[in-house]
Amino acid sequence: MREPDAQPFGLSVALRQDAPIPLDVDLSVAPGELMALVGPSGSGKTTTLRAIAGLYRPLHGRIACNGSVWFDSTAGSFVPARQRRIGLVFQSYALFPHLTAIENVMEALGDLPADQRRDHARTLLERMHLHDMDDRKPAQMSGGQQQRVSVARALARRPDVLLLDEPFSAVDRVTRRRLRRELAEIRRDLPMPVILVTHDLDDVTRLADRVCVMDRGAILQRGTLDDVMRQPANAKVAELLDLLPDEA
Amino acid sequence: MDWDALWLTLRLGVVTVAILIPLAMIVGRWLALTHIRGKGLLEATLALPLVLPPTVVGFYLLVAFGSGSWFGQTYQKLFGHALVFTFEGLVVASVIVNIPFAVQPVQRAFESIPPDLRDAAATCGMSWWRMIRKIELPLAWPGILTGLVLTFAHTLGEFGVVLMVGGSIPGETKTVAIAIYDRVQAFDDVGAGRMALLLLAISLVTIALSYIFTQRLGRRYA
Amino acid sequence: MLRRVFLSAVVLALTALPVRAQQDVPVIVAASDLQFAVAEIAENFTKQTRRDLKLTFGSSGNFARQIQQGAPFQMYLSADEQFVFNLAGKGLTLDRGTLYAIGRIVIMVPHGSPLKADGTLADLKAGLADGRVTKFSIANPEHAPYGARAVEALRHAGLWDALKSRLVLGENVSQAAQFATSGGAQGGIIAYSLVLSPAVSKLGNYALIDDRWHEPLRQQMVLLKNAGETARLFYAYMQSPPARAIMRKYGFVLPGESS
Repeated sequence: MREPDAQPFGLSVALRQDAPIPLDVDLSVAPGELMALVGPSGSGKTTTLRAIAGLYRPLHGRIACNGSVWFDSTAGSFVPARQRRIGLVFQSYALFPHLTAIENVMEALGDLPADQRRDHARTLLERMHLHDMDDRKPAQMSGGQQQRVSVARALARRPDVLLLDEPFSAVDRVTRRRLRRELAEIRRDLPMPVILVTHDLDDVTRLADRVCVMDRGAILQRGTLDDVMRQPANAKVAELLDLLPDEA
Repeated sequence: MDWDALWLTLRLGVVTVAILIPLAMIVGRWLALTHIRGKGLLEATLALPLVLPPTVVGFYLLVAFGSGSWFGQTYQKLFGHALVFTFEGLVVASVIVNIPFAVQPVQRAFESIPPDLRDAAATCGMSWWRMIRKIELPLAWPGILTGLVLTFAHTLGEFGVVLMVGGSIPGETKTVAIAIYDRVQAFDDVGAGRMALLLLAISLVTIALSYIFTQRLGRRYA
Repeated sequence: MLRRVFLSAVVLALTALPVRAQQDVPVIVAASDLQFAVAEIAENFTKQTRRDLKLTFGSSGNFARQIQQGAPFQMYLSADEQFVFNLAGKGLTLDRGTLYAIGRIVIMVPHGSPLKADGTLADLKAGLADGRVTKFSIANPEHAPYGARAVEALRHAGLWDALKSRLVLGENVSQAAQFATSGGAQGGIIAYSLVLSPAVSKLGNYALIDDRWHEPLRQQMVLLKNAGETARLFYAYMQSPPARAIMRKYGFVLPGESS
């Protein structure tokens, strides 16, 4: 097995298994870099994301972030999700439905002293342009607003890696553009590795520094979008990129 | 009015709930999350008291707990009296026949929590206990309450099993349901009518409370 | 909210568990033909001695089975001596007990029944023939002595085969009386002691059945191994003149006396 370099900064991931879900993934993302994972459903994108988050334990591989090892199958080490510093934005947002917006964010601030959590959470919500929404329940907010609470909650962890699982799939076009812009702002302020799973070629064009094309658990090609578009490694890659919906 | 029987019945209901609901929360949550083989068989077994005639349950409990059985003899040695025809025996029987009434609503409640929420709690850095306390229990609470109310109400009304393993000992195993039966046999229709009315009222109030609770919580979490 | 409810439930449960009665209040089980007689005797007993009893009435056979299964009864008043002798043979009782009464059976018909209260059972026979009798109640002969005696009397009168399919079986003789008088059945064979109580006598008419038509209902009582002082006192009280007077009032033939 080829070990990824144990870089002191950034994220390196190597995953391999044949079953139950085949995986053959090697990737590394530098701090401040946004890597897009694209591919048809069932291609292993979300499984890869869950493995990085510590929500799924593959059979073989190694995951390291900023010099600390989160998972190493040869050493038998596995850091559980709650001990990794992960910001994960779910496709469903996965907000706690019985808690208000601010309580949702505060739940990710468990490492702060109790009296600082509320102020900190409010700052994060305001940074996501959510004003006067503190006491609303998720059901009382629009999809875009829920999405922003979800991002604020992910950032509240002060994550070493930000993981976005098809974050824009459930919002309308206008909201999507605005969310993209906000994500770009966050990246400017917080230089951490970001992995974005998406179906949307437009997301990739506007946000991604590099793109990984996946199919059946394996990476077919990686590089800048330009490179991949101009020189698809094989017919499959070209076909997959062709299938991606293009918003423009 | 047989106050002894009423007090005994309420005590039986409370003790049954206090024992069964925590157990149901553990078993129900586990069943909601597990994918082990034979889960269906296990669920079917736990649901058996729903379809079994109470006399069948009562018969097996008598066989299992009676002074002829290994268990009955061990219990007798440990505590100095038999388990059947005592309040403790009634509690054991009541817990067993109420398993489906407690476990099923609790299991459904935990099943209805989207798995993403557990993952979100983990990535938020919440400990397992905090996730249970802050996320799962508040969301599963209406189901737990339903299980609690069903168990309590069903305990008040259970007759066949209670008669078989309890006999009808005043202050020990004579519940209101049995007392009504006894009153009818003693040609005391007035006494029977009064107790029947009381049981009806208690059951009605219990069920109504559970509906009110569930609705209020439903609104709160909407 | 959740925590408060849960806590109060636990507290209640804990306070509710250790309630085994410490004082000497014996559980006494009695055949249900004694429903009224023994209840009255026990009331007088409690008045005089200030000692409480827990009385449960049911079928003698059921009680015998429960005693074998370890039920914590202290005294057993059976409607049939054989149950007592069986228990004594198994070493579950103090001794072979005492004969305290001999029971009688009656045919009872509720008000408005097409059947007559005829102790010779001749009208029952006619009613079976002309279809006036569709339901007739007796106690379950498998474990209730009064049911078994009723079957013997019916056999003696040659009615058993005709009546068999129309029988409603009460769990005990008290329930048989309930069935016989509640209007669903045209009548029944039940205990004389029950129909002599005001609660039952107002429900219909009755006639005694010849006691030579069946084995005698020799009612035997016995103290069980765990009998305490109160149970022993009540056992003695049952044989005292005031208790015998009440038993006589309810139509029992007492040992040493003739009907």
